[in-house]
Amino acid sequence: MSHPIELHNVTKTYGDFRAVDDVSFTVPAGTVCGFLGPNGAGKTTCIRMMLDILRPTSGSVSILGTPRALDVRARIGYLPEEKGLYKKMTAASIIAYFAMLKGVPSAKAKKTARELLERYGLGSFQDHKCEALSKGMGQKVQVLASIAHDPDLVILDEPFSGLDPVNQGVMEEVIRDIRARGKTVIFSTHVMSHAERICERIVVISAGRLVFDGTIEDARALLPRRVRVRGAGVEDALSRLPDVAQALPSSDGREGVIELRLHEGANPQEMLKIAFEQGVALEVFEVVDPNLHEVFVHLVGDEAREAALR
Amino acid sequence: MMQIYRVALREYLENVKTKGFWIGILIFPGMLWMLIEIPQFLEEKGIPTRHVVIVDRSEDLGQIARQRITLLNRRKALTALQTHISKATAKQREEMMEKQEIDTGQLLDQLEQGLEQLSRSDVEINPFSPNQLVKLGDLIPETMLLDDTQWQQFKKLALSQLPEDAPPFEEPEPRFREVPLLAGIAIDDSNENIEEQLKPYLRGDQRYPNGDDEIDLFAMVIIPENALDQDQDLRFWSSNLADTDLLDTILKALSEEAREREYSRRGISSEVVAEVASIRVRSANYDPNKGAGDEKVGIRDKIRQYAPIGFVYMLWIAIFSISQMLLNNTIEEKSNRIIEVLLSSLTTNQLLMGKVFGVAAVGITMQIAWIGSLIGILNLKAGPSATWIADLIAAVITPELLLGFVFYFIAGYFFYAFLFAGIGSICNTIKEAQNFMSPLMLLMMVPLATMTFIPSEPNGTIATTLSWIPPWTPFVMMNRMAASPPQSEVYGTALVLLVSVGLVFLASAKIFRMGVLRTGQPPKLLELFGWLKSGKP
Repeated sequence: MSHPIELHNVTKTYGDFRAVDDVSFTVPAGTVCGFLGPNGAGKTTCIRMMLDILRPTSGSVSILGTPRALDVRARIGYLPEEKGLYKKMTAASIIAYFAMLKGVPSAKAKKTARELLERYGLGSFQDHKCEALSKGMGQKVQVLASIAHDPDLVILDEPFSGLDPVNQGVMEEVIRDIRARGKTVIFSTHVMSHAERICERIVVISAGRLVFDGTIEDARALLPRRVRVRGAGVEDALSRLPDVAQALPSSDGREGVIELRLHEGANPQEMLKIAFEQGVALEVFEVVDPNLHEVFVHLVGDEAREAALR
Repeated sequence: MMQIYRVALREYLENVKTKGFWIGILIFPGMLWMLIEIPQFLEEKGIPTRHVVIVDRSEDLGQIARQRITLLNRRKALTALQTHISKATAKQREEMMEKQEIDTGQLLDQLEQGLEQLSRSDVEINPFSPNQLVKLGDLIPETMLLDDTQWQQFKKLALSQLPEDAPPFEEPEPRFREVPLLAGIAIDDSNENIEEQLKPYLRGDQRYPNGDDEIDLFAMVIIPENALDQDQDLRFWSSNLADTDLLDTILKALSEEAREREYSRRGISSEVVAEVASIRVRSANYDPNKGAGDEKVGIRDKIRQYAPIGFVYMLWIAIFSISQMLLNNTIEEKSNRIIEVLLSSLTTNQLLMGKVFGVAAVGITMQIAWIGSLIGILNLKAGPSATWIADLIAAVITPELLLGFVFYFIAGYFFYAFLFAGIGSICNTIKEAQNFMSPLMLLMMVPLATMTFIPSEPNGTIATTLSWIPPWTPFVMMNRMAASPPQSEVYGTALVLLVSVGLVFLASAKIFRMGVLRTGQPPKLLELFGWLKSGKP
């Protein structure tokens, strides 16, 4: 049984420029996958190749078991990076139109459009023209338009960009609802907190190359855990231990708190034990897992900085 | 197929909802209505009564001029009377028409006979100008119009025939009215003196006193003592240079008088001159293309010869306006990035076809509305039961002409639609598109420029050559339809046209595929050819 999304050694070049360079990954059915990478990493190009809007220069793409996404377009929902709607159409009619293009019969498409708008708080705007909607509303309408035909695979390109925190929450809810129905979701973003909250897996690309593919836990494990401590003499007691790689002022900015970065495989409980043995009066002792943001910066930081400076 | 239909349906419904569409639909009947109504309205209300001072130094020429002015005023009143009667009796006439079966063919034959008879008289007839047809005013003797009593009696008699519930008739204000020379100026004062004193009134600086009233003085005419002897000019003063009716009327009256006097001086009877002047050489026109015994060219044939111009014009307007629509909304979809969602649901060919078909349906709706409103307005003007308009159209427009129109509309539309959609796909704004549009506009101007020329030389070298150039084939061939161009040319050019529509479709689809997702500067023309050759942007 193949996965909903499979990329095998996919490369896309424009002249001498390699926008996507030998990328391979898969997204298993029923998961929410974050597709991460700095600006210009090649995320949108990859997504367009998944949808068969662009053809790869080499390598192969398989979507829902077929190389041609158009053959299974009725089972795919897609929200492009740059969002736009027909200004003169109403919210309900545009959702229904896109559903109909995906093969949903006209009456059912209209009914679904109204139901979706009601469910996500736009019920009173269903007969408003798109030009009268706010940016956030318009974007919600477009997301709903991409899922109105109840697709098995939903591909969202930067679904959170341009949304306020409340609407970002609604968007997360939409994605969770899709997963709850057993569908597969892949969305691109460069805001890690969303990915952290709703993804099971992440794929990270940078400068066209794949730099990570795995679960959130796998990603976090890339960086060693850290211990934050405070107390008289704690630095002398712990910072020179062989398990400690580095001792720095805490990244959360609390005064007097020291952050100890541990070597891989080190056990934080050992730290606590040693502190007790040495009679250090601990005011703070916290074990901190690295967050996705740090993992991301660790994975792509240098290249992203270089790209930004170029 | 379903996808194409859905795209087309949306395209159609959304375009039909726009203001532009309705303006387009309404502008044609609106303009037609104005074309019919405005001259009539202006004639009735637009021009106020003009006041004129006549300084007559001659013995009797002033009287002749005054008579002509009265005649002009009475003719205006007569036209108003005629309109009034026609409105008041519209219902009666309608009832009469309903009772009678009117055969349009017979009507046309009668019209033709009538025109032929008239052409033997000294009235100049142009069958295409309805203004030239005989008016009631021409049938009433001048003496009756000039005499006040007779005119009042005639008016009373005419109005007494009207139904009782007819509204009262209001005689319009005269076109020109003479006012006496300013008090204090003697008629035998010198020209310079009189002119100097009247200039402020003629310039409009002061209002001219007329009894207890004050009026705007339109003109002053000084008729010299011996104007007929050609050595003295009639002096006409007016600051309005556009309204020449008064001067024309006076000059015509005096010139006729001069000729009359010259005839009698030379001993020639003016009746004889009139009789001789009425001699016309007539022609009977035959068309070798028509069946034996039916070769005579009648009014129908002449109208038929010119009917294609109407079609060409409609074809041009339709293709021009709906191709613009297509260009605009392709650019909208592109700049809105909707195109990307569409392309995840459709192939580029489906999208292109759907758009082109949808917009074509808009154009066809527009054409039907135009033709419908044309017939509607003509019917309204001629009374609702006058079926003769439909019959006349049926008599003039042959099935071949209609078939030609449908074919050339479809082929011509697709040719230009694919071109415009291709251009739309590579541009992000209308402004960018304009660079590509200019050469296309020039291309489209050619058929318009040759439109009136082709019917006069329908099978000449230029017409034949233009027919074989695909962008112009629909217009030029449509224009030639009435002249029965050789069958080989009809089918040959149609084939070339269809093949080129196919080629334009392939090229446009290719450019569309590569162009729609492209952002930034549109490609240069040379780059485009590169795209077409390599299949890659």
